[in-house]
Amino acid sequence: MDIKNTLRLLTGAVGVSGAEKSAADTALELLKKYAPDAGTDSSGNVTALIRSGDPGAKTLMLDAHIDQIGFIVTYIDNDGFLKIGSCGGPDMKIMLAQSVTVHGSQDIRGVVSTLPPHVSPDHTKVAEVGELSVDIGMTREQAEKIVSPGDRVTVNSEFRELSGMISAPSVDDRSGICAILAALDMMDLTKLRYNLAVCFSAQEETGERGVKGAAFRLQPDEAIAVDVSFGRTPDSAPHETAEMGSGVMIGVSAALDRGMSENLRKLAEARNIPHTMEVMPSTTGTNADSIAVSRGGVKCCTLSIPIRYMHTPIETVKLSDIENTARLIAAYAGGADND
Amino acid sequence: MTDRILEICALDGTSGDESAVREYIKSHINADDVTTDNLGNLLVFKKGRKTPKNRIMFAAHMDEVGFMVTDITEDGFLRFGAVGGVDPRVVLGRALRFGNGTPGVVGTKAVHQQSADERRKAPDFPDMLIDIGASSRDEAEKLVKRGDCAVFDSDAFVFGDGFIKSKAIDDRAGCLIMMDMINGDPEYDAWYAFTVQEEIGTRGAKAAAFTVAPDIAVVLETTTACDIAGSSGDKRVCELGKGCVVSFMDRATIYDRGLYQLARETADKLGIPNQTKTLIAGGNDSGAIHVSRGGVRTCALSVPTRYLHSPSCVAKLSDIEATAKLATAVLSAFAEL
Repeated sequence: MDIKNTLRLLTGAVGVSGAEKSAADTALELLKKYAPDAGTDSSGNVTALIRSGDPGAKTLMLDAHIDQIGFIVTYIDNDGFLKIGSCGGPDMKIMLAQSVTVHGSQDIRGVVSTLPPHVSPDHTKVAEVGELSVDIGMTREQAEKIVSPGDRVTVNSEFRELSGMISAPSVDDRSGICAILAALDMMDLTKLRYNLAVCFSAQEETGERGVKGAAFRLQPDEAIAVDVSFGRTPDSAPHETAEMGSGVMIGVSAALDRGMSENLRKLAEARNIPHTMEVMPSTTGTNADSIAVSRGGVKCCTLSIPIRYMHTPIETVKLSDIENTARLIAAYAGGADND
Repeated sequence: MTDRILEICALDGTSGDESAVREYIKSHINADDVTTDNLGNLLVFKKGRKTPKNRIMFAAHMDEVGFMVTDITEDGFLRFGAVGGVDPRVVLGRALRFGNGTPGVVGTKAVHQQSADERRKAPDFPDMLIDIGASSRDEAEKLVKRGDCAVFDSDAFVFGDGFIKSKAIDDRAGCLIMMDMINGDPEYDAWYAFTVQEEIGTRGAKAAAFTVAPDIAVVLETTTACDIAGSSGDKRVCELGKGCVVSFMDRATIYDRGLYQLARETADKLGIPNQTKTLIAGGNDSGAIHVSRGGVRTCALSVPTRYLHSPSCVAKLSDIEATAKLATAVLSAFAEL
């Protein structure tokens, strides 16, 4: 599987929390190559069960979230400007004069509008989401034919190849989806250590909601939540970030299973898979927090891909970190017989 | 018109680095005299069917606001400054593009890692770095040098009820109107100055006005419109869809009263939508031109534009057309003065 092309496909699709269909359909098509019975559930999660030949095998859930942060139309004003709310936690600093798409009855383009310096009281302050409007170049009557409250809005950005890295929208968490697909591609699916419950979950960004139903239904014994985490930037604290290119980040947290973290670390060492340990003292802020308390409890660990500029339209990732995450997933899920 | 305006806006032309725009214009006009001066201004003379009593010069600037690399850090990030007046709030979270095609992005640490104060404080240039993906200074220097210029790498599109969104509508709209005048069998002889370095203090226009030595100048520009949500009355300044903006005063120029009135009367007589600005703000090449040599009677005709100096300037095609019509009409009207 070509990781770059898969990531290009996945980041080219749109799936704001609660309206994941387009991105989910794209991921579903890619997943069907490995799990022909894969489907989408009532919450919008894309799930599949790939059975191990061993009838006594435990079930390992491989989760990455399909949704991306974005905005939602709340109101159309008398001049045709749209008021919006946020889905998830975007970085509001980057919103002024952004190019956006409003996903109405058809996709239409617009620009985020805020008051210019001569009429805004304090332009050193970041505008809150309620202070923004979206300019779609229409009167209210024209707008109402295409746009309704509840339609999602995304910031336009492109898939860009930087020197050794990729910058694209919704790398959080399409790169996690990409890593799971790449891991499935690396494994011999007829020789699995676990039954694999693959879940590309909806509504992670709005509070890990989609995965709750999926975890209940799939009943895993263990789960790996594959998400993105913080890559090093010059203004960040080194102890809170991983170097880009340093490989998969293995989670250690009070909310995670200590044994799984340790087994993943040992496995990464044994297989020479570049990795770092990501220590999150209390909870993880990923789907692992929700999966762990599903039904009677699930052993969980996180595997994270370091990215820069999380929750902006220019999220940046190194493909080798996705690949090394995939290698560790494959090594763990496939088991010793799967080399 | 739509395709051509988006095409000329897509060209890279940070102030002081306008050659791509100049070459494009040179190759798309048919004029009687075309000179590039020492600063890079493109000075064009086009004979009309008649010779006016007054020497008339039109002017529009080729340059756009952009960015220049000031330093490359050890870990391969680029420090940079703005060329011209750019609000740092429209730079963060965007992609930029260098002349050789190298893309970069501008970001900070993740919102999750910012303190409550950091989240509320708008960014400033010293806080921002361009990330071209390089992991060392050596790797970065293979792609970009100190002093290289970058422009916004943003999409351009037509949207809504005849609106366009692009970088650099300021002032490629004016350039395109002048190109069409030159190519359009003008009634009177005129000079057309495609100027450089407007955005860093109307520098090109100083030299251009000296060389052309006009009696009357007409500056073709874009001007801030604030007809957006939450803005009312005079705070709207001017409005998209209401036609060409004829200015009586901004922060650089008090425009010639006679030309202002004649321009508006001419527009009214011909049914060309026109308006004026309700706020004394901004400035353009007129500031340099009207005090050139012994003084030049100057008029400014502008396309009302939202979100100027951002990657998402928004203008209405009908306003560009109205401004083009009025520019042609004032050549004839001013020639008879």
